[in-house]
Amino acid sequence: MTRRGNPLLPYMLIFPTLFFVLIFTVYPTISSLIGSLFQHRLNIPRFRDPVFYGLGNYIDLFTSGQFRMILGNTLRYVVTVVPLWVVTALFLALWLSRPRFARLRVAMFHPTMLPMVSAATVWMFFLTPDYGLLNEFLRFFGYSGPENWVSNPSLSLWALVFVAFWKDAGFYMIFYLAGVQNLPNDVYEALKLEGAGPLVTFFRFTLPLLRRTTLFVTTVAVIGAFRIVDHVFIMTQGGPSGHSTLLLYHLWRVRFDSLNVGQSSAITVILILMLLAFTVTNFLISERRHTDA
Amino acid sequence: MRSEFSLKLRPLRIGAIVLGIALAVLWSMPLIWSIVASLRPPGEPFARGQVWFGSGISLANYFRAFSLAPFALYFRNTVLLVTLILSVQLITSSLAGFAFAFYRFRGQNVLFTIILTQMMIPTVALLVPNFQTIRMLGLYDTILAMAMPFWGSAFGTFLLRQAFLGIPRDYGDAALVDGCNWARTLWHVYLPMATPSVIAFSISSVNWHWNNLLWPLIISQSDTVRPLTAGLARFTQLGEIGAQWGLMSAATLIVALPLLTLFVIFQKRFIEGFMNSGLR
Amino acid sequence: MPRFMMITALIALVAVGAFAGGQTEATEDQPVTIRIAYPVAVDAPVTEILDGYAEEFMAENPNVQVETVYAGGYEDVKTTIQTTIDGGGDAPALGVMLATDLFDLANAQYIEPMTPYVDAMENSEAYLDDFLPAFLSNSYYMDELWSLPFQRSAVVMYYNADLLAESGHGVPTDWETLGETASDLTERDGDTVTRWGIEWPSGWPYWLFQPLAIGAGQNIVGESDTEVYFDEPEVIAAIEYYNSLSTEYGAMPEGVQASWGNVVPNFVSGNTAMIIHSSGSLSNVLSQADFEVGVTGIPGPDGGSFSVPGGGNLYMTTGLSEAQKQAAFDFAVFITEPSRAADFSIQTGYIATRESALADDAMQAYISENPQAGQTRDVLATAGKELAVQNLGEVRNIFHSHLQSAINGDMAPSEAMAEAQRAADEALADFR
Repeated sequence: MTRRGNPLLPYMLIFPTLFFVLIFTVYPTISSLIGSLFQHRLNIPRFRDPVFYGLGNYIDLFTSGQFRMILGNTLRYVVTVVPLWVVTALFLALWLSRPRFARLRVAMFHPTMLPMVSAATVWMFFLTPDYGLLNEFLRFFGYSGPENWVSNPSLSLWALVFVAFWKDAGFYMIFYLAGVQNLPNDVYEALKLEGAGPLVTFFRFTLPLLRRTTLFVTTVAVIGAFRIVDHVFIMTQGGPSGHSTLLLYHLWRVRFDSLNVGQSSAITVILILMLLAFTVTNFLISERRHTDA
Repeated sequence: MRSEFSLKLRPLRIGAIVLGIALAVLWSMPLIWSIVASLRPPGEPFARGQVWFGSGISLANYFRAFSLAPFALYFRNTVLLVTLILSVQLITSSLAGFAFAFYRFRGQNVLFTIILTQMMIPTVALLVPNFQTIRMLGLYDTILAMAMPFWGSAFGTFLLRQAFLGIPRDYGDAALVDGCNWARTLWHVYLPMATPSVIAFSISSVNWHWNNLLWPLIISQSDTVRPLTAGLARFTQLGEIGAQWGLMSAATLIVALPLLTLFVIFQKRFIEGFMNSGLR
Repeated sequence: MPRFMMITALIALVAVGAFAGGQTEATEDQPVTIRIAYPVAVDAPVTEILDGYAEEFMAENPNVQVETVYAGGYEDVKTTIQTTIDGGGDAPALGVMLATDLFDLANAQYIEPMTPYVDAMENSEAYLDDFLPAFLSNSYYMDELWSLPFQRSAVVMYYNADLLAESGHGVPTDWETLGETASDLTERDGDTVTRWGIEWPSGWPYWLFQPLAIGAGQNIVGESDTEVYFDEPEVIAAIEYYNSLSTEYGAMPEGVQASWGNVVPNFVSGNTAMIIHSSGSLSNVLSQADFEVGVTGIPGPDGGSFSVPGGGNLYMTTGLSEAQKQAAFDFAVFITEPSRAADFSIQTGYIATRESALADDAMQAYISENPQAGQTRDVLATAGKELAVQNLGEVRNIFHSHLQSAINGDMAPSEAMAEAQRAADEALADFR
């Protein structure tokens, strides 16, 4: 484990990245952390200057039924869209890794390159009840259920999941494509000679060999799922009746509509803590497995 | 090459191709529709029974989009912006990724976690403090101001660390024994073997910043520094009248086509990069 | 050592930027520079129009430099101004923001009252009286005037006059005739509807809903800035009527309709006979429809015609020098002058904000060519107050949420509104 040379070297290598992260991320994070302990509401004269509030903002949030519903929406959203992304990305990468599928790869990847605002607007048109293209397509296959996707309380969240899935599945695919390139050829040739079936090959070799990529993709996908918000603005505005309000959208509203700086800081802290908890657990599990192997 | 779970039989292979084409067409439907929509004469609205071509093909939407926003100028700015971001990110991220993958040092996990928060913090929380920082630096209304907050990239560091971890240690150790310093080791051994990840990162960075709107909009006021998305926003936020599908599609394509074209061209390099990296 | 070179280079870059930035700030001494941040919310060359006004203004006032800053949509203008002021920067001197944002903007001290400058005008009273009262009513708070009406619109009902004539109906004048006409004009092919009688978007519902409640006899917002009336019987009756258009008359799609972007195309292509929308869409509607288009207010239960105004006003931000304030106000007055109000209206489709703009020759010519532009103005004569209260974001959200529950049938209208009232009173308690 020891390296020759300057023990400070790794720190120097990290310094440039750390420098910008400290200025443009850590400083805002710390100011959110501190800000979350204050009652600071720009639209109420007596709270225009921050007044210490202890954990009041957090208590207000967690005692609010609305906030609990938003957390529930967000969790359902993330728990659905992340596996969809990861599994689809993996299979697409395995399938499309050959050069002759280059065009198909472009087709699957291109939604990532469209601005979300435009993509969501186009999907709004496709989701139009009655004559929207998606509904026509579904009807062609015998679908006869509700068609008012973005305004139906039990469907609007899934409309958001669907658009996010379509938009970014190809994005996660490229990381698996990079991972697939590092799979050792000789192992597969040996397996072929031994006559191992595709399922065995996949579960016993491909999947474990891609574990590191999966860890990366899952982590990034979870963070990504929490972070995309433009489609909520365009498609549902969190409605109907708050059934598709996601945490980040709510954060925007609290900060810029309700001008409640303290509470928006508390939501920021909650969001970061949730993501950190997930990421660190994810790492702990994977590192342990790593040493076992 | 290696996705050998495996399409041996001819009918199966044909089936896979057919399935692939069908999927590709479905997946591209919004883009295809946008292209058609952008070519529809502006006087002919989209409605029930009229969702594809109009009575003819018209470039009027494009002319109108160009007349409402200085796209050529915006295009230059966007190219500058993404280049400025990516070039610095590649340096900072490969240094940091290398350090985290190759060395063991005190506080490694804590430092890595701190850097990772860069991906987690929502933009809302960043706007005011980063505006203050940029103002203190005197950079308001410059392309530099749009780029600088992204120079320390958690995503890049994370991705390159993962890629470097996948390279057997012996390679690096051997290089060091041979008298290469760390920089030569990184440059001649590690980076070439991580080409697919470098490319994947470059694509995602360029793509992300190509499409980013809010921060550039807030930190600038002049058209001389603003990116393409500032032009697009003129057509996607028509709150008073609802979406103008044709016009918005034209603007979207003006913004996205350079990137899409670049990607299609790049596909070849992309694959070559992948091939070369498969040294073993 | 490459890393040192690199770090040095980065620091140098930052330093150069700081230096360059400092330079530009140092030059603004004698002449006054003001910036105006505006959104583009209609399909019109707003940038060119405003740049033109700015140039005219600068020609008349050589020591004032006016820079126009396009800032995105309404939300983005507000976010930009909030971020700039919260971050200690110099915000644009003027901002075009929603008229209803008044209370929050004023409480948070993002904006400056205009009263002293209006009072200093020679003809201040006449100047203010010339604005349409429906528009100016959203400008007062704490006995001060905070904004000038600029790009304003109103809720209107567009109807396909040809279809009405064909079916022998007149223009609907009350709830019953509206329902019956809409029902008659709805066409079905088996189970599929091929033409709706009426479409009434409710994805962001308060605005288009308000005229219905006002018509029923009770606006959802009171005169004071902390009073809302969500659970009044008239408001509940308005919701029930809205629902009945689909459930009883079968003339409108069921449930919440997130169709703001669709209804204009549906209307102009003849797929929908009547729509409720913004007057801002008028020029679009007229340029695309190949039939006679009528514009009117929303009928009440027993007649009448009702509407609410919407759109953006000119606000002056805080933190300006005295010279900038005066210049900003002068520019605001300049672009609201009757001839420019008329010109802006003609070019964008917004409603001219002033009485005297109507008398303008260009406006007269425009109206005689497009009588509908005059009709949108008439609608405003009986317009009520747009929902604008303290803590607007939260209160509006509460109303939306419960109104949508009532429209989707998750809750009975009376139950939903009782709950909305309770929640809104709570959200307003801190402000009373």
